[in-house]
Amino acid sequence: MKITFKIWRQEGPNDKGGFQSYEVNDLTEDMSFLEALDHLNEILVLKNKKVVAFEYDCREGICGQCGVFINGRAHGPHDNMTTCQLHMRSFEDGATITVEPWRARSFPIIKDLIVNRSAFDRIIENGAFISAKTGTAPEANAILISKTVSDRAMDAAACIGCGACVATCKNSSAALFTSAKINHLNGLPQGAPEAHQRVLDMTAQMEKEGFGHCSFTGACEVECPEGISIVNIAEMNARFIKAKIFG
Amino acid sequence: MTLFFRKSIIAATGLFLCIFLIVHLSANCILLLPEDMARGMYNSYSTLLRESPLIKIVAYLLYLSIILHVVYALIVTIKNKRAKPVGYKVSNTKENSSWASQNMGLLGVFILIFIVVHLANFWARIKLGLGEEVGTDSVGNKDVYEVTSHLFHNIYYVLFYSLLMFPLGFHLYHGLKSAVKSLGFYHRKSLLIISKVSLIYAVIVSAMFGIIPFIVYFK
Repeated sequence: MKITFKIWRQEGPNDKGGFQSYEVNDLTEDMSFLEALDHLNEILVLKNKKVVAFEYDCREGICGQCGVFINGRAHGPHDNMTTCQLHMRSFEDGATITVEPWRARSFPIIKDLIVNRSAFDRIIENGAFISAKTGTAPEANAILISKTVSDRAMDAAACIGCGACVATCKNSSAALFTSAKINHLNGLPQGAPEAHQRVLDMTAQMEKEGFGHCSFTGACEVECPEGISIVNIAEMNARFIKAKIFG
Repeated sequence: MTLFFRKSIIAATGLFLCIFLIVHLSANCILLLPEDMARGMYNSYSTLLRESPLIKIVAYLLYLSIILHVVYALIVTIKNKRAKPVGYKVSNTKENSSWASQNMGLLGVFILIFIVVHLANFWARIKLGLGEEVGTDSVGNKDVYEVTSHLFHNIYYVLFYSLLMFPLGFHLYHGLKSAVKSLGFYHRKSLLIISKVSLIYAVIVSAMFGIIPFIVYFK
């Protein structure tokens, strides 16, 4: 396969940056997208040029590190998928693929395609935990939870914090991420003691980090590798009202 | 002031305006009646609207809603723009979201232009008494029917009025179903129904508002 990569190159956070084109001729359809980038980097190394910086870790769709914007969509042309799950067979031979980093004020670019997503960590630090005595594991059946409630919590807990929701949102809203984290804990009895404070603190931090408003375009739930529904955002809004009244 | 607060204001005022549109449309339907019947009914209805104290309160709520809706939409848009200062070189939003949802601001600007022209043509003349004086009909009511019929016999105005119902339709379709979510309604099955209701509401309201001027024009 012959592919022309048009990749955003930026030396550091304060560098202006710009697109650079790279032609790669010996790719195969079976390569994953990240392997194709690896191959490009090998070529760059042999030419004594700087490699393209991009993030990855597990390469099996569970860690959320490999977020890049490919041909105008977060994680590439498919719905509900991470970049590492994308293969070159999704592109046509001879195609030009534009690769850009996540764009959001709250996700400053570190280098090339790598952005700083620690704004998410700070939202987590502000309430996405429960206060519980540690020590020996408690008896599994001590707190009974219905299947519906546990399924809902697990659906929200599936969020891997990749940042595709923020990246694809025209307002760079972090509402899907924050709502997933809030609903995961607030829907369970273990999260109940700090429920109201959690909503208020986490949404306040989300605003402080400079994320935008949710317009319910629905783009985030299409790009989310875990398929987390935007109904979570509506639920977060309801929890917010409840926290304001009873919290 | 929180993200939630700003969007709730937009959502709540938007929903109020959606209800107002139904009332407004029902009045427009009087125009479909034969002329001698329509004139009397239309004029007495508009006299009722001007003079009822209850309607006066609703009218002020309406002005306030439009202003708040626009002002907060502007604030939210500016803040959103700040949250995403650099856009993408290639952006395929049509693959993951509706065009209307991505362009609510632009659609809103068209609707605002319409409202300004619409108010200048009717509200300013009839209620504020600006411009050409409005005559009275046989029972002494202000002849608002004449004002409307006169405007709807001007093809440029009819086209302007009807064409701008397209952005209204798109704006209503995304606005209605999203407003309820912004206000924290999250029952999944009902949201699916609301989404369909929004579509039906948007199509009916915008199509009716858009067709009536043509019917009057050709009457």
